[in-house]
Amino acid sequence: MPRWLRILVIGRNPKVTLVRAAVLVVICVLGYHFNALRHIRVEGISMLPTYQDGSAHFVSAVPYWLHEPRRGDVVSIRLAGIHVMYLKRIIGLPGETVAFVNGKVLINGEVLDEPYEKLSSDWTLPPEKLGPDEYFVVGDNRSMPAENHTFGKVERDRIVGKTIQ
Amino acid sequence: MKNVSSFVLLAALVALGVWLWFVLSPRPEKIIRQRLTNLARTASFSSGEGNLAKLAAVENVAAYFATNVEVDINVPGRVQHTLMGRTEIQQAALGARERLSGLKIQLPDINLTVAPDKQSAVADVTVDVSIGGERDSIVQEMKFTFQKTADGWLISRVETVRTLSSAILNFAPYRAPFIVTA
Repeated sequence: MPRWLRILVIGRNPKVTLVRAAVLVVICVLGYHFNALRHIRVEGISMLPTYQDGSAHFVSAVPYWLHEPRRGDVVSIRLAGIHVMYLKRIIGLPGETVAFVNGKVLINGEVLDEPYEKLSSDWTLPPEKLGPDEYFVVGDNRSMPAENHTFGKVERDRIVGKTIQ
Repeated sequence: MKNVSSFVLLAALVALGVWLWFVLSPRPEKIIRQRLTNLARTASFSSGEGNLAKLAAVENVAAYFATNVEVDINVPGRVQHTLMGRTEIQQAALGARERLSGLKIQLPDINLTVAPDKQSAVADVTVDVSIGGERDSIVQEMKFTFQKTADGWLISRVETVRTLSSAILNFAPYRAPFIVTA
């Protein structure tokens, strides 16, 4: 093997290259196992216009190693596992009361400012109090009938990670 | 050299024994996963199925369930069924095959817990259902309870899991309009 090719493939110091490769493998395995970065493909229209049907993104649990989920975060929510998940936006935090009045979200009776909400909505739903470990999640596309839209309370341990644009 | 050869041969024999043991006496987890996967495959169908094939498939689907099974499927706005016993399951399965142009059931996630006495198990399952002619699939989390019987592991109860719960939304979840696939 020519020297330049050998350097290209295994580096100047094979032992160091081996250690680097081992570290990289460990990082990849741990990253996958702990959902540090996971590729996702969106299906459906409930997060329009923010996330298009068929678009590809990444989800990461790393932000939630540092802090708890925040209002406005777009998160993936596991069902029985993580191969198919819901993608929703957090609008209500633990302990808050969430309601919908003529398409506006009320948090503890105050209107929530939602700059991401571009499509008109007429949803009116009575207030609901969240438990100490519950978040309220909903899609951005509330122009669709509420009965066609999957949303509601979710427990913290179902939130896998935050979507990276 | 002779010692090394003997050691390699012994290791190979042990590996073969372990492999045979797993093949001949599979763990309950493996059996139940296989049964769920086979059930999904058996319950799926495409258009153009003959009457005899329909009846045979319906019989096969029912065989996965205990005679006194309870099935409570509640996907508000979409499906609300409570079935009791194999006969009602057969009727429902036949009705689906008569009405729908096709059905594809997939189980992308199976989360299984076997009881310590190995006589029962609970499977938390993500069910992905595509109906022929419809663009969006229905994704729903379901819980299957298994009992070990003389006929093997049979499903004794099926119930809907509300992943996103809401007292104000008796109709949610309906379709899975927004899912992601990792």
